[in-house]
Amino acid sequence: MSLPFRFARRLEVNNKRSTSYRISGAIAGLVASGLLLLLTSRNPIRLLGQSLDAIFGSQRGIEGVMVQSIPILMCAIGVALSLRMKIWNIGSDGQFLMGAFAAVGVGTKLDVPHWLLIILMALIASIAGAAWILIPALARAYWGVNEIITTLLLNFVALQLVLWSALGFWRDKKSQVTQSTEAVQAVLPRFPGLDSVSISFIVPIVLAVLFWFVFRSTRVGYEIDMIGGNANAAEFAGINVKRRIVTVMLLTGAIAGLGGMLQLTGAPGAQALSGGFSNRFGLSGFIVAALAGASFAGVLVAGLFISAMFYAGIALQTKGLSVYIIFGIYGVVLVGIAVGETMARFRLTRTDPTSAATTTGASA
Amino acid sequence: MGESINLAVEAKGISKSFGGVLALDNVNLELRKGEVHALLGENGAGKTTLSNILAGLYRADGGTVLVDGAEREFHSPSQAIEAGIGMVHQHFRLVPPMTVAENLHLGSPDTPAIVSQKKLVASARRMMDEIGLEVDPTARVWQLSVGEQQRVEILRVLARGAKVLILDEPTAVLTAQEAKDLFVVIRRLVAGGRTVVFISHKLNEVIEISDRITVLRGGKHVVTRDAAGATPRELARLMTGEELDNSVEHRTVDGSVVLDLIDVFARNHRGIEALHGVNLQVRSGEILGIAGVSGNGQTELSEVVTGLRRTQSGSISIAGTDVTGGTTRSIAELGVGHIPEDRIGVGMAGSASVKDNAILRHYRSSELSSGTRLKRGSVIDFAKRLVAAGRVQTRSINMPAGQMSGGNQQRLVAKRESMIADRLLVAAHPTRGLDVLATKEVQSAIVERRDNGCAVLMISDDLDEVMLMSDRIAVMYEGRVMGIFDRSQFDRERIGMLMGGQVEGAPS
Repeated sequence: MSLPFRFARRLEVNNKRSTSYRISGAIAGLVASGLLLLLTSRNPIRLLGQSLDAIFGSQRGIEGVMVQSIPILMCAIGVALSLRMKIWNIGSDGQFLMGAFAAVGVGTKLDVPHWLLIILMALIASIAGAAWILIPALARAYWGVNEIITTLLLNFVALQLVLWSALGFWRDKKSQVTQSTEAVQAVLPRFPGLDSVSISFIVPIVLAVLFWFVFRSTRVGYEIDMIGGNANAAEFAGINVKRRIVTVMLLTGAIAGLGGMLQLTGAPGAQALSGGFSNRFGLSGFIVAALAGASFAGVLVAGLFISAMFYAGIALQTKGLSVYIIFGIYGVVLVGIAVGETMARFRLTRTDPTSAATTTGASA
Repeated sequence: MGESINLAVEAKGISKSFGGVLALDNVNLELRKGEVHALLGENGAGKTTLSNILAGLYRADGGTVLVDGAEREFHSPSQAIEAGIGMVHQHFRLVPPMTVAENLHLGSPDTPAIVSQKKLVASARRMMDEIGLEVDPTARVWQLSVGEQQRVEILRVLARGAKVLILDEPTAVLTAQEAKDLFVVIRRLVAGGRTVVFISHKLNEVIEISDRITVLRGGKHVVTRDAAGATPRELARLMTGEELDNSVEHRTVDGSVVLDLIDVFARNHRGIEALHGVNLQVRSGEILGIAGVSGNGQTELSEVVTGLRRTQSGSISIAGTDVTGGTTRSIAELGVGHIPEDRIGVGMAGSASVKDNAILRHYRSSELSSGTRLKRGSVIDFAKRLVAAGRVQTRSINMPAGQMSGGNQQRLVAKRESMIADRLLVAAHPTRGLDVLATKEVQSAIVERRDNGCAVLMISDDLDEVMLMSDRIAVMYEGRVMGIFDRSQFDRERIGMLMGGQVEGAPS
């Protein structure tokens, strides 16, 4: 009746163990997905081969993953920053869209040199992203209103605003495609030596490194972590908690908004705003931040991994695999990682054989 | 043979280790029918581990448990309760938004799958009649006082047919009156033939309520003896293994005034006036103890002094600097430490590491940071130093602080706050929940600050502690200072009268 092994909680979870458990979880998820594919009489090994080939087989594949990763990483970095404070910004999709929206407005209406236009667009997009989270931030900091609901709901407002602009007041009347705005003419230069990736790829990397440093070695990072740990204790120590919450939330919005501008001026074929401009980047970004446990090095790894899966999925679709099967695999792998993360907090111990022996004499 | 019939539970040679640390080493325990049996020991002595094994929460690594003479092994609390052993934990396991009747039936195998509120209430009334304990069955748990909630927990365990009731530090959360009520309940239960295991480290209480006492120390059985004739001093020696000198030296000093409150008014968190024109002075090198029944403005007093609460009117100055309306940070920077009443909720972040909690008051100092950067090496050194000096027992400074025992969390906060208290230390219930040794340590640390010239404002609802520690005592009642006693005037009776609002007790 009693198992020879049981789980005991670890007192301390170190990062190395946590990381290796997450990676093992992802691999277990892929194996489980393979078994599921076998059940649908497909050859998982061949599909895996095709996926790897799609990604690593050509420069196009690798560049495709990089292009995919920029908006996801930008959203993920914003979300991870707020998660350090235990604030759940579910609205990075909306902030991303509002950044792009503001950038389109400036980018298509202003007649200034392109280099200046790029700078102005980046600025206005950051401000718009921050503005989109201003009300949830103030409501959270001063009246304790749950930010999950406010930020989530504003996503729908942002999407409707974008649709309205694309179908209405900013609609591109010259274009055949009637459901988008005019395209911005100022675009970012390509990354040296690459065909489709713009130099915007360095932005999320620089930001991740910057925040990694902030949380590792600065007072502000420590204060944000303490607010996340216990806001009362932070207040006790004289940290201005309300002001910090507002500042950090505005910053997360600004990063997502800047992400929208980078997508608009950097991604191939994304220079106009339409209803499909954000491919749920905010949601993917949220998953990445959660998987990474709000660690910024982790965000980079998880972000590239999710982007690669995304890209492989697109490639497999062209091989006739249904999009639902791809979503299914996506889900199983994420569950694997989440289970791995939980497992890292426990260890397997042997139950003592002597106590197992007395069990038999129990209910006599 | 005659004796074994009288035994409700017999535990023989129980051993248990956690991650290589031996928590119980070959411990024996005999529980007679109809007795109150106290389990006494310091934190970490193994009291809770032993009871958790009896209650089916843990499994012993070795040893046997006999219930009514038959050997049993429990894999879950429900198996233990089937065998007649139930436990009421220190932290209640009730569902606050649900009614008492609902809580009593929650998770019980006897509760039918479909049932009306009316039937639940009726069945709850039946249970209460049978057991002889009353709580309004229609009340919601969050509306009840802590004492009543505890009664619901006891009812819930007894309703499942428990003959042996284990109470884990039941009085730690109770007021003095509630504790008295609990003792009445306990006496009634044992008179009905049940056995009560009473876990505590409060010696006077244990002597008062128990028939027999088992002392554990470091996971080992020290002694089992009758409670009659036991003295607190003797039990303390058995628990700690050493003779404790429980005295504090006092002297009259004529230091300068450090803390000066003039006619201070303040409201509590519900907006009701809690401080009603308080005038107080604390001098350098003295401990001013605040005596009073809790809820008479002591908490608000500690909060206005440390900047956590605004005053309505009046003025507060510390070492000559007016700090009325000052921030927690500006006040702390004057050399004011604060051991807050709610250590876990206010004084530290449980999910953050011991190290991060250790530097909470010091991270802005030039020792630990330069400009905006934290000096990581110095932070680690500082945390290690604080942990060592405060005798905080922790496996690593990177472990989440909330996973340390309550006593060690307390030591961490107390040491951290003492370290910044150059001028004033505000200590609210500094030894609440601590065992004998830890209490002694924290008290010595406070006395040590005083001897170095620090002014100490100490709040405690334990009058014994206030009388032991204070150089002067101010009695608070309904937000007012009713009187201030010099050490030579200390009189338990007069202080007690003032605590109840009777002005005849006031010192001349």
